Amino acid sequence: MSVLAPILALLLLAWCVAVLDAWMTTGRFRPLAPLTATLALVAGESLVPRKPDRLFFETAPILLLLAAVLAAAALPIAPHLVITDLATSALFVNAALAYVLVALLMAGWGPDGAYAMIGGWRFLGQTIAYSMLIVMPITAVAMRAQSLLTTDIVRSQAGLWNVLYQPLGFALFFVAAMAVSFLPPFDLPTASGELAGGVEAEYTGARRAIFRLGRTILIVSLATATTVFYLGGWLGPWLPPWLWSALKTLAVAAAMLAAGHAVPRLREAHLLAWAWKAGIPLAMLNIFLVGVLLLVIP
Amino acid sequence: MTAPLVLYLLLAALVAGTLGLAASIYAVARAFGRARAEPGKDVPATAATVSRDPVWSRYHARYYGFALLFLAFDMEMAFMYPWAVVFKHEGLVALLDMGVFLAILFLGLLYGWSQGALQRQ
Amino acid sequence: MLARDLHAVTVPGPDVFSALGLDPGAVGVTYAATPRHAQVLVLAGPLPPELREAAAVAYAQMPRPRVILALGTQEFSPLPDPDVTGPASHDGLAQGLRRVRELLSRHAFSPEARAFEPAVLATRTEYTCPMHPEVVQDEPGTCPKCGMELVAREASGSSDETHHHTISHKDASAHDDHAQHEHRDDHGGHAENRTAEGATSYTCPMHPEIVQDEPGRCPECGMFLVPADSDEGAGSDTGHAPSHAHHQADSHPHDHDPDAGEVHEHGAGMDFMSMVEVTKDLPRGRDGLPMDRIDVPFGPLFPGLPGGLLLTLTLAGDVVARASARTLTGPRSALPEPGMPAARFIEHLASLDPLTPTAYRLLARRALEAASGSTPSAHQQRARLAAAERERAASHLGGLAQLARQVGLPWLERRATRFQLTLIHGDHDALALLARQSVALRTRLERTPLLAARLMHVGALSPADGLRGPVARAAGMTTDARTHDPAYAELGFEPVLHQGGDALTRLHVRLEEITRSLRLAEAAGTLTMPADFDTHAAIGDAIGDAIGDAIGDGQAVVETPRGEACLQVYLDGGLVTRARLDTPSAGHLTLLPELLTDLELGDALVAAGSLDISPWEASVS
Repeated sequence: MSVLAPILALLLLAWCVAVLDAWMTTGRFRPLAPLTATLALVAGESLVPRKPDRLFFETAPILLLLAAVLAAAALPIAPHLVITDLATSALFVNAALAYVLVALLMAGWGPDGAYAMIGGWRFLGQTIAYSMLIVMPITAVAMRAQSLLTTDIVRSQAGLWNVLYQPLGFALFFVAAMAVSFLPPFDLPTASGELAGGVEAEYTGARRAIFRLGRTILIVSLATATTVFYLGGWLGPWLPPWLWSALKTLAVAAAMLAAGHAVPRLREAHLLAWAWKAGIPLAMLNIFLVGVLLLVIP
Repeated sequence: MTAPLVLYLLLAALVAGTLGLAASIYAVARAFGRARAEPGKDVPATAATVSRDPVWSRYHARYYGFALLFLAFDMEMAFMYPWAVVFKHEGLVALLDMGVFLAILFLGLLYGWSQGALQRQ
Repeated sequence: MLARDLHAVTVPGPDVFSALGLDPGAVGVTYAATPRHAQVLVLAGPLPPELREAAAVAYAQMPRPRVILALGTQEFSPLPDPDVTGPASHDGLAQGLRRVRELLSRHAFSPEARAFEPAVLATRTEYTCPMHPEVVQDEPGTCPKCGMELVAREASGSSDETHHHTISHKDASAHDDHAQHEHRDDHGGHAENRTAEGATSYTCPMHPEIVQDEPGRCPECGMFLVPADSDEGAGSDTGHAPSHAHHQADSHPHDHDPDAGEVHEHGAGMDFMSMVEVTKDLPRGRDGLPMDRIDVPFGPLFPGLPGGLLLTLTLAGDVVARASARTLTGPRSALPEPGMPAARFIEHLASLDPLTPTAYRLLARRALEAASGSTPSAHQQRARLAAAERERAASHLGGLAQLARQVGLPWLERRATRFQLTLIHGDHDALALLARQSVALRTRLERTPLLAARLMHVGALSPADGLRGPVARAAGMTTDARTHDPAYAELGFEPVLHQGGDALTRLHVRLEEITRSLRLAEAAGTLTMPADFDTHAAIGDAIGDAIGDAIGDGQAVVETPRGEACLQVYLDGGLVTRARLDTPSAGHLTLLPELLTDLELGDALVAAGSLDISPWEASVS
């Protein structure tokens, strides 16, 4: 029973994020939008490009969905509402997110189409830029909690949330999370103006429904991860813990969806340069600062 | 925290459940009818031009400099996870040890930067 | 009824839609990124034949259920008849879309729907010999020249090769089956391509030094001899040497670069070719690595480019190695038949470019007045100035919206489109506010982080003869036809000049011009609607009366939003007998191939967009 509840919560959060996303892009608030959109997609044709790499083409959306679900599985909503409370949850989240890259590369290579392939390879460049910026802040968070259990990480923030303890890490993780879920301005693989849909373009019908579901759950997973690692998870007065988690996750997701609208799409070269020349030194500085703080403050 | 084996079985069940969900969505879509084959419909869409050329080619990924450095840093991160867990317990020694390790890698990063590895080729 | 967001493929494109005053966003329809994500194909205005074929391709690639909505289009072939029609106005769009939603929810999958099979997409399977590409049959069999099994390949049914940039020699290297090469049994088809004109000498693909006068076998390796290239002509845009298929031990398929040199020597055995040998003749990029190139069309209905412009980019990685540009807006001529009455001539010229009809109406009118010797009054000149400046601001706003689509700034796209539509539909009161709002827009754009970094140094052009309009003024050239116009001088007009010549400078020039145009239009006092430009009393008398039965020739120059356009007309008894039109976009189009070389893909698209080419203008002959 305590396993089903987080799964349902995940789906519910994904629904809310989908509605939020639609609201932000089109300005129309439609609470039933995910259902109608999915029905429309499933009822339409599912086209398969000619001579695709069939294995890759079919696997990509499902793998994206799996990666997102597995990442969410290790993240808690309340002290005993977590699908799997692994001893190495923090590492597991990162491992699951690595498969997003594999999924998008497969989606790019599969259809044998120019736009998709360029989108896929560009996403690989993006991942090389941002992988380190996901991992290093998680390390700093684990240092404070002295454990890789996500429940312990939340409990370690009882005194002060990590967003205030390690703001540098929070900023880097937030930006990197947007990049992993290819939200604008990091939407190189699926840009409309540059690649006419890119990686997502050749998916229609049911496969596209799975792809979009995977992407939405990925956004939810990353928002939950940000909440758990930096915003104190379920901690907070008066309201029940799961409600705090849900509110914080939705707030982070909304921030992720909105942040991109103000900035034009970053060129791949810029992404890589900034991440490696500025981002990684800052992340290492963050680890060092957290280390010093931990030693100095008893 | 229950026994790890149970947890991994649970994860396996979750994976199976997700696959089942995907399969059921595909089954529903198939029940609506297969796609009708029409000429040109299955050519990858390139902005209203028909382009049947295959594009599987050696793509010049211009970020290989970054990729090589990434390998080095990824190995470092593999060491840092267990280090992070025992850091506070070990105290200053841990900070200094890892500090040296990070400093060496950082110097490597600087060296790569100076040699022009950190740019689009 | 489940109201949902519809995605639409629009032909000719969002730029023309905004210029016509259509706003799909207001009725719940978004521009689809790709036909695969769209449910409705919307056509607006009369469409030239090539653009209709492109629309047919887009329609064929849309998954069912799909609906066609035609607004003001009369001819449809090769598209099927539209499901919903209407006039090309915003109301027509709104009502049409309502009907489209009904259709989609009710008749989504009528089983008796006919398959869509236009000729442009027809393919037939041909059978060809990998050694002798000129041998083509419709059925499987063996090659009469060498006895090899014929290999199947797809060929387009259309006889017009220029539609498809599928280069024929790529097909000849038999990449139909990506996993295997059909002729791998025979070492390695160095399929040479030529146009099969009576070649008389035969050579061995492996040993080019062996040359004989009749077909046979090579004395060194035993391969069948192939005709030597008498004519290196090959695919549609490259005329050079044979491409070659490589068979490596791992048989991984890849595309071949058309720039490759001659058939290269292989020296030792055929079963294994080292990577060094395989890549010996491929061109190398800046870092010295030989990699494959692919030809990608950024075709007529690409979301980030003007509708009707076909950019074919040869990409090495994601850097443009070569670019070629062409317009699909059909042959357009300034004077389709000699002896046109003046009023019809003006309308015809206005229909040449749906993006800037007012400027061309003005140009035609002025040329006719110059030919007949009549002059408009000061009041009429001011009214024309106001209408022309309004259109200039609207056109630049459309360019801003396109930039926003390219770089991913949805707020800019929405705001620029809204401003543009207000300018086109709006009345005097709305316009008074717009001048202030344009300043606010400019400030907000200047404060957008990273936009300047994105556009700086992209697509830089130094002052040269072919540049006109805002592109020229951004490069520091002081060319503006309005400086010679007394009506403008009265209002204190000064052209906007900047230095730099890159995409960022052009953006600044256009932003500044928007504000100045709106202020000029306000200062001119009388504001007229571009729609009834020519019949409005303020513009001038009916053209027939103004020129009477004049005989003569005249020339007029007008600063259209994209640059100077020049028209020369010859009048004979009130009828136009000859006309010659020179448009700015035609010159800018020729600049594209050189401008885009060696740019990264995103930069190349931004550079192409910053030139603000109107394919309609550019295709005027």
